[in-house]
Amino acid sequence: MQRTDFHEIEISSRRFYSILVTLAGVLVAAAYAFFYMESQGHFVTGMNNQVVWGLPHVVAIFLIVTASGAANVASLGSVFNKPAYQPYGRISLVLAMSLLLGGLLVILLDLGHADRLIIAMTHFNFDSVFAWNILLYSGFFVIMGLYLWSIMDRTATAKRCYQPLAYLGFVWRFILTAGTGSIFGVLVAREYYDILMMAPLFIASSYLIGTACFSLVLLLLYKLEGRQLSEVIKSRLAISLCLCIVVVTLIELARHLLNYFIMGYTAVEVFVLRDAGAVTLMFWLGQVVIGLVLPIILLYLPSVKRSRLAIASTLIMLGGLCQLYVIIIGGQLQPLRLFPNAVTETSGNLDIAYSASLPELMLSLGGVAITLFVFTIAVKVLRLTPANS
Amino acid sequence: MKLGLVIDLDVCVGCHACTVSCKQWNTSGATGPLTDLKPYDEDPQGVWFNRIRHFEVGDSPNSKTVNMPMSCMHCEQADCVDVCPTGASYKRVEDGIVLIDQDKCMGCNYCSWACPYGARELDRDTGTMKKCTLCIDRIYDENLEEIDRQPSCVITCPSNARHFGDFDDPESNVSTLVRQRGGHQLMPELGYSPTNHYLPPRIMKPMPTAEAKPGSLISSVKKWVNQSVSR
Repeated sequence: MQRTDFHEIEISSRRFYSILVTLAGVLVAAAYAFFYMESQGHFVTGMNNQVVWGLPHVVAIFLIVTASGAANVASLGSVFNKPAYQPYGRISLVLAMSLLLGGLLVILLDLGHADRLIIAMTHFNFDSVFAWNILLYSGFFVIMGLYLWSIMDRTATAKRCYQPLAYLGFVWRFILTAGTGSIFGVLVAREYYDILMMAPLFIASSYLIGTACFSLVLLLLYKLEGRQLSEVIKSRLAISLCLCIVVVTLIELARHLLNYFIMGYTAVEVFVLRDAGAVTLMFWLGQVVIGLVLPIILLYLPSVKRSRLAIASTLIMLGGLCQLYVIIIGGQLQPLRLFPNAVTETSGNLDIAYSASLPELMLSLGGVAITLFVFTIAVKVLRLTPANS
Repeated sequence: MKLGLVIDLDVCVGCHACTVSCKQWNTSGATGPLTDLKPYDEDPQGVWFNRIRHFEVGDSPNSKTVNMPMSCMHCEQADCVDVCPTGASYKRVEDGIVLIDQDKCMGCNYCSWACPYGARELDRDTGTMKKCTLCIDRIYDENLEEIDRQPSCVITCPSNARHFGDFDDPESNVSTLVRQRGGHQLMPELGYSPTNHYLPPRIMKPMPTAEAKPGSLISSVKKWVNQSVSR
């Protein structure tokens, strides 16, 4: 069997530092946004009593879900014993950990009291899905870190741990994504979420978006080095993406049909799919056309060869972001149905509109920037990139 | 004990005295302040523990406006307590009141998603979640006269639409009212078993809506003249 050599990414120092300085600029802006929101209060965000989770939560959950899926390639190589994927396991795991770090930082910095995270870490309410997720996210870092060690270290101990850690990592990713979906799936009070289809939907979406993110990052790394990624791995990634698109489409379809016909939540379905303005547009144009239809056409059409994986992956990620925006913001924009068949007025001003403010956007971009910052340093200082694949 | 409120929808006139009184008492109380944003602008916002919903029932002319004060229902199966990751939300064993420990709440907002009654509001200034405490700093205050040891909204209500008491005691005022007047919970099908109950508005005698009889010849002439003159 051919032995794979790994090296640090070969780019000039000038290019490396210019990437870091650019990302650091975004991070400074994000830090400013965080302190601005801390000092002024969450009044300066677009969130209100009706829409309590906004753009930062959308981006954070997007990064978390992508993190789980980005480790897919590592699992394919180890758990499913596909040698073609094995050289990319290191990149896959480091990318996954970087993405999770970015997602968690955005969620943390958007809390009403970010300084009290320590309470969440020390006072667990085991009835809470949210608390379970804190454990799952923390465990993800530990397991993926150990898994990475078992791949990179060539000692006998590491080799013995490799398979068990690969299986543990695979199962953990599965539970983590199901747990993230269950944050919404257990909300009986909200009609758009009261369905356990959320867990499988998040699992499938995570595989799709994560694989797309990995493909895009891998192509970028190779482009930075001036190398060509092999057609074999490109083709395999394209097939994986196509399969995931089909699965996500089926689950999403089943979710909406179940919500409408079985659960009887017709009002919220009609609202999100027809009447919610920008959210409706995001669903049909963003999630369906850009995120599902165009990529599968691109990946299947034999005439569109050049850069098709990169373009399809970008579109899938945009679609995934739209999907989470529709789920999180769209579901909140539908007012609570306290009195069916009655038009209700409420004392005080209860906004049911949402538009993200500049600080929220900056904080969200900060999550992406920290992900790329950590990942860029990792690929520069660690031997992650396969030399002969 | 299972303390809670009974609200009589038949006599509530929607005057908002209870909401204002609640805000006044609690903004300087244990959970205060209840921060306001732009209170004197066109678009005032802020934290309220009690909001009144208004809606119409029936078709005109047999319609009626129902004013429905809503605050925390202090549910027996409080999902907001279950979902709180830090345990800041809790339900007291001794009297069933659901409270939020302001020193433990990290402002993740997840509990407000879990509440089907929209009773929880994030104070976007303090960064913590706030809600009705059933005026806990008042109902146990022995420095007050016994008659004043009731939630502020109950004392203030000018039409006596709000009643406070112990639902575990079958002879209490609230249990008696619920029994006699057919009091009900809001959205019991969700399974939260809210402690607060509502007394339904009385059924009105229908107003006759038959078409008016055709007028006499004289009245028809008068009508024609009036129409002509007005032209």
